[in-house]
Amino acid sequence: MVTVCFHCGEPCAGDAFAQDGKPFCCLGCQTVFHLLQENGLGQFYELNAAPGTRIRATTVAARYAFLDDPVVREKLLDYADDQRARVTLRLPAIHCVACVWLLENLFKLHPGIGRSVVNFTRREATITFAPDRIKLGELAALLASIGYEPELTCAETEAPRPSLVRKKQWLQIGLAAFAFGNIMLMSVPVYLGLDRFNGPWFRVLAGWLSLAMALPVVTYSASDFWRSAWWSLRQRRLTLDVPIALGLAAIYGQSFFEVLAHRGPGYCDSLTGLILFLLCGRVFQQKTHERLIFDRDYKGFFPLAVIRKTPAGEESVPISRLQPGDRLVLRHGELLPADAKLVGGDAWLDYSFVTGEAEPVRCAPGSHLYAGGRQIGGRIEVETVRPVVQSRLAALWDNEAFRKRRDDDLDSLTNRYSRRFTKLVIGLALAAAVFWLFHDAAKALPVFTAVLIVACPCALALAAPLTHGTAQRVLARLNLFLKNARVIERLAQVDTIVLDKTGTLTTADASGVAFISAEGGVRKADLSVEERQWIGSLARHSTHPNSIRIAKSLAVAPRPVSGFQEISGGGIAGEVAGHEIRLGSMAWLEKCGVSGRNRSNPEGSPSAATTLPVGSHTGIAIDGVWRGGFQLENALRPEVEKLVARLGSRFELALLSGDNEREAARFRALFGERATLRFNRSPADKLEFIRELQHGGRRVMMVGDGLNDAGALRQADVGVAVVESLGAFSPASDVILDALQLPRLAEVLAFSRQAARVVRLGFVISALYNLAGLSIAAAGLLAPMVCAVLMPLSSATVLAFACGMTAWSGRRIFALSKPLGASTSPARLREPAVKWIEGA
Amino acid sequence: MNTNVETFKYDNRIVRAFAMATIVWGVVGMSVGLLAAVQLFFPDANLNLPFITFGRIRPLHTNAVIFAFVGNGMFTGIYYSLQRLCKARMFSDFLSWFNFWGWQLIIVSAALTLPLGFTTSKEYAELEWPIDIAITVVWVAFAVNLFGTLVKRREQHMYVAIWFYIATVVTIAVLHIVNSMEMPWSALKSYSMYAGVQDALVQWWYGHNAVAFFLTTPYLGLMYYFLPKAANRPVFSYRLSIIHFWALIFLYIWAGPHHLLYTALPDWAQSLGMLFSLMLIAPSWGGMLNGLLTLRGAWDKVRQDPMLKFMVVAVTAYGMATLEGPALSIKSVNSLSHYTDWTIAHAHTGALGWNGFLTFSMLYWLFPQLYRTKLWSVKLANYHFWISLLGMMFYIVPIYVAGVTEGLMWKQFTKDGFLQYPNFLETIVQVVPMFRLRALGGTLYILGTLLMAYNLYRTAKSGQFEPETVAQAAPLASHAPASGKIKFHRLLEGKPLFFTVLSIVAILVGGIVEIIPMYLIKENVPTIASVKPYTPLEVMGRDIYIREGCLGCHSQMIRPFRSETERYGEYSKSGEYVYDHPFLWASERKGPDLAREGGRYPDGWHFNHMDDPRSTSPGSIMPRYSWLLTQPLDTNSLPARLKALRKVGVPYPDGYENGPAQKDLAAQASRVVQNLKQGAVTAESDREIIALIAYLQRLGTDIKPAPAPAPATSTFE
Amino acid sequence: MSVILILILASLSVAVAFLISFIWAVRSGQYEDTCTPALRILPDDAAEKNSASGSKPKSSNS
Repeated sequence: MVTVCFHCGEPCAGDAFAQDGKPFCCLGCQTVFHLLQENGLGQFYELNAAPGTRIRATTVAARYAFLDDPVVREKLLDYADDQRARVTLRLPAIHCVACVWLLENLFKLHPGIGRSVVNFTRREATITFAPDRIKLGELAALLASIGYEPELTCAETEAPRPSLVRKKQWLQIGLAAFAFGNIMLMSVPVYLGLDRFNGPWFRVLAGWLSLAMALPVVTYSASDFWRSAWWSLRQRRLTLDVPIALGLAAIYGQSFFEVLAHRGPGYCDSLTGLILFLLCGRVFQQKTHERLIFDRDYKGFFPLAVIRKTPAGEESVPISRLQPGDRLVLRHGELLPADAKLVGGDAWLDYSFVTGEAEPVRCAPGSHLYAGGRQIGGRIEVETVRPVVQSRLAALWDNEAFRKRRDDDLDSLTNRYSRRFTKLVIGLALAAAVFWLFHDAAKALPVFTAVLIVACPCALALAAPLTHGTAQRVLARLNLFLKNARVIERLAQVDTIVLDKTGTLTTADASGVAFISAEGGVRKADLSVEERQWIGSLARHSTHPNSIRIAKSLAVAPRPVSGFQEISGGGIAGEVAGHEIRLGSMAWLEKCGVSGRNRSNPEGSPSAATTLPVGSHTGIAIDGVWRGGFQLENALRPEVEKLVARLGSRFELALLSGDNEREAARFRALFGERATLRFNRSPADKLEFIRELQHGGRRVMMVGDGLNDAGALRQADVGVAVVESLGAFSPASDVILDALQLPRLAEVLAFSRQAARVVRLGFVISALYNLAGLSIAAAGLLAPMVCAVLMPLSSATVLAFACGMTAWSGRRIFALSKPLGASTSPARLREPAVKWIEGA
Repeated sequence: MNTNVETFKYDNRIVRAFAMATIVWGVVGMSVGLLAAVQLFFPDANLNLPFITFGRIRPLHTNAVIFAFVGNGMFTGIYYSLQRLCKARMFSDFLSWFNFWGWQLIIVSAALTLPLGFTTSKEYAELEWPIDIAITVVWVAFAVNLFGTLVKRREQHMYVAIWFYIATVVTIAVLHIVNSMEMPWSALKSYSMYAGVQDALVQWWYGHNAVAFFLTTPYLGLMYYFLPKAANRPVFSYRLSIIHFWALIFLYIWAGPHHLLYTALPDWAQSLGMLFSLMLIAPSWGGMLNGLLTLRGAWDKVRQDPMLKFMVVAVTAYGMATLEGPALSIKSVNSLSHYTDWTIAHAHTGALGWNGFLTFSMLYWLFPQLYRTKLWSVKLANYHFWISLLGMMFYIVPIYVAGVTEGLMWKQFTKDGFLQYPNFLETIVQVVPMFRLRALGGTLYILGTLLMAYNLYRTAKSGQFEPETVAQAAPLASHAPASGKIKFHRLLEGKPLFFTVLSIVAILVGGIVEIIPMYLIKENVPTIASVKPYTPLEVMGRDIYIREGCLGCHSQMIRPFRSETERYGEYSKSGEYVYDHPFLWASERKGPDLAREGGRYPDGWHFNHMDDPRSTSPGSIMPRYSWLLTQPLDTNSLPARLKALRKVGVPYPDGYENGPAQKDLAAQASRVVQNLKQGAVTAESDREIIALIAYLQRLGTDIKPAPAPAPATSTFE
Repeated sequence: MSVILILILASLSVAVAFLISFIWAVRSGQYEDTCTPALRILPDDAAEKNSASGSKPKSSNS
């Protein structure tokens, strides 16, 4: 049983940090606890077990100083006057009730802070504060210091605020519901023959009131239908909205005349009900995932500001104001925003996200560095050579693929169907009218309208939205999120799948870590439990990706470490349980004079390590004795083999990688002979490759993760972005897929095809109803009552079928409905909070 | 100190006051119910005292339980949750306490007047006009207090519970005022403004919506607040709860009228009735599922926490009741269930299950909060739960059986086409054992309530009451300008709006122009020439009939079913009731229908039957009304009564009440005395019994029974 | 049956009142966020006072 931190719930190294008998994993956590206690916010810890997030590094206020730069400030603030300002910050660390409570009681931590309102779904907090008492920078620093580090990238400043669209929809639906209910209130008595008993005036009153209440529904609630019907007529394209608009007009007109002629209250109840259902269908379809942003460009990946070195000293400056020739300082893990020249320090740049190269690159001073690279190791100085927007990376977004807008749904299943449908209906109406002209002219017009009324394709219009809405919800439960419902249809049509390698098929996590003992060969004389514990404890203290991976792979209860030191570009050292442990590059270990006596190389030089296979590795020395090394390679994600095999059997496959051909053989074996494998592809090459496929008449799905795939993702018919955690940055795409769910891709495609089938069946069902109605109408026997029964009945049937069928096939195809394994996404770190949210 | 935030105190005293009132009145109201229940199998339990006779205490029971128990419970919950949801103290402490004492005063006056026989006879609205006014005043005070609190709230978002509270306040006000239109003729008595069928329509529009908006919406609000608190997890889907509310408001309101109409429903429209009923179920069940699903993954908690147990049963009961309600309104079902104990069982599923259990749950949670301690005994609370649950079962199941039995027996024909049980008594005797079981159930339920009272008392003792809770929040103003400002024209988009408004106006004007003339032509309620106003003596008798609450057991409405026309005679016509202020159709039959009682038995029979029902009809469960034989008839108030009746439209000639009325009264009284003599009964002509007999003998005699097909002309619940 | 007119008018006016409040609610952004409010009600202000003295375990329902 490992003691866990009272604040953040991570395992503690012994009881080094403790307060009021509560263990803490680090000084950071303890400090926060103390701070909250002092300010009467102790309830934080009652609302959820270990609700905090680990405080990695103690925050330096300077890091957020740039927020007080007028330009940035003005960009971030929602509202500001001299004594009050309001800002909305993205705080990805928000994950449970306790967070909401703490952040909304922020005013207890600083007198300058006023009201703060959290939006859980968006992981945002809107904070009002007195600028004269606390600066924006200080506020951000305060948030960071209690574990809610604001996510500040260029994209955030341009993040879309909630639009009026949603409000308008609520209003339209509300109005329709109101009218529907209250028109019922009056037409029910008439249907039930009460009016016989109320006198003639009641029937008339009911009629007129219904008309009055229905009017705003027709004009306002249904406005979208009129607009798009008109639009599609102008485009000479028969979308489904045309017959709908026709139907609505016919119903209202008919009702109006019936009321005028004292023939009952007309069809207003059916009319409003119909509009209500249609609107509900639309909303149901628009399942929004507020936390996810589907169209970000590279700016979303870039920081809001970087540190610039000036004669005066160092200042943080928004990257929008970077000039060529600026001297920038990059610390470990920081990102290079513009193409630049290396000036000082030894640079290990990790380009995996922008180019797909798996391994960090060692750059010599003076060499050209590309925007998007991430510095690993020590601090470096660079000199920018081009403004941010002209960097090689940014250039990709000038490609016209990014300019043409898609998601027009003219060729959606529904509309393809409705073309025939509309022609048929109008034809029928005319035919019936003509027929009656010769038999009973008086009936001609009523019948004509009657046909249009019953043919109003309410159920038909519902089939697709309901199916897609359900499908989206099913997929969302698997942590696969669609940009919009149309994507499902496009998924169903895919016939070619292009996969990116680094970060998509392969992953850099614990799984790829193997220990190679100094005795040579794997698995001989493996590490003892103690050794594992020592090394693990040491590795935990470093932020170097390799150290983190190693620590993860060892997964041990940490022991206190003393005298920890990190030599950039070299390695880390420290004393655990009286043993001196060193972890680092061979060269550095040699420098440290590590000696090794073992059978495989008597002279005991670590050069034995050179016999280790390729891939980056980290040497280990215990008490100055050469112990062996860790080999770190980008392992395939679990079950990828199975996935590729399954996809290969049904789809054309291709692999695109920005990486070198080092692993070509391995992937050829995986993909088989037929598949296309391309290495050393630039982002532009990838885009081009997709376009060629499409010219070959193929429906392409691109699966990628990095900025280097952004072009391809945009160009492809369906772009799938694979993310390690839902909060994380992902390039513009149609689908955001949790990396852990990648193996489910085959099922997802099968499911989308199933959904398309359901939609078609839905059409058939509603067509049957229309047919029934039409036969009644064409015979001139249509009564308001018939409508009032037929309309809801058909809609209800379609609803039951579409939702039920989709959900069922979802359950069938994805045997279990909960995500595979646990993921690193903060959304799933704390189960309860999230269960609640998914419920919503 | 932080100047951006305000520190304020929640008022817990008012909450405690209402909580205590809830418990006290709960016990009282249930006990009265028990007393009434006992009289149903042991009539002499009234100890021959008018004040505690079934007819008078039944309304006392319903009022006490609805307005005293549930009412106070509702206030408890609202006063606690509203302050916290708004992050503000109640708008005015004065109004809070005015609300509290005013409400208790109303309850006390009800507890005094109803046993004394001052009743309007309209169900759930029996209280007489002075109390009606008091109710209006107190309710308005409550409304002001609630809206005032909303105005000074510090939380921008109004939690869904608040919306349910608002719905309650507004709707109940309208319902109460419309239904309480009455014409006073003495300090404590009045006649309804509406007559017969109209009165029935208004009454049941009120009746249905009172159930919906006094017993349901406020408690849904409480559910949405206290269930998440108890389970310590947010409601399953908040979005759904919002939809639940607005669907209820927009779709459910029209349930009221349709509720009255079903017996007039042509057979072909039954399927439609089903369809509508289904649409009514949807919102209610949405709410129920939302409640239950909130607990998914927390069922282990439910097992330990009695408060959650209560909550679960309450929500389930709500689901059952809302499923049954629409079902009952379907003709085929209704024709069987109506007037039987089925309706009672239905009501008690809601009252005992939904309201009762939810109140208990809330109190169990509230007291530890108010007294900053733990519940004194969880074990005891669990006992309470199981005892009350058992009691509920023992109550509801037998009554369902009774209801169905009654319904079937009343409709039972022999193969030769005669009624199987022509004597109503047979059908009642059948179900008396069920009544006994029901009383047992009720006793258990009360026992449970007493356990709770003790448990909470000990809890209070063990803790330290916190009269005020300190809280901090930033005022709403400081959040200005509120996010998402829209210009109004943006909202409805300029021209369309303008156009719409104009056309609506046009349409309404057109409609009115058309309607007015039609409306002016005399109403076509089939008025029947032979139907005459009641004579003075009959008026007196009718008021006695109302005073003694005879309508608690006897309906005056023969429905157009063969089973009823066979048993009671010609079915009732709406035209027969045009002079009935108020209508006396009643909603329950523990005794035969009286709509055509006139001339069925000799006066003497009625005299003896009132003196001791069992002497004329052995095995009858009707209480003795011997005091009617001795109490003198108060003829002084006759002019006032007749004047009032004329004001509400009964065509007594002007000045009739001054002299002629008294003469007519005396004359008719002596005729009755004569008839009694023939029946070998001697009585003085100035006794109440005389007036009552006169009234009973008049019932249904206005129209000659003419054989006619039975078109459904009458409307009633 | 003039009374049914009263009933309809009463019902309607209530309904219209609610329609207006609905429009207000939506426009004033009441339903911008349909998730956080459900979380917000769970913590008790009541607990504040004794939280200063460290987080003592409280009854399950606080």
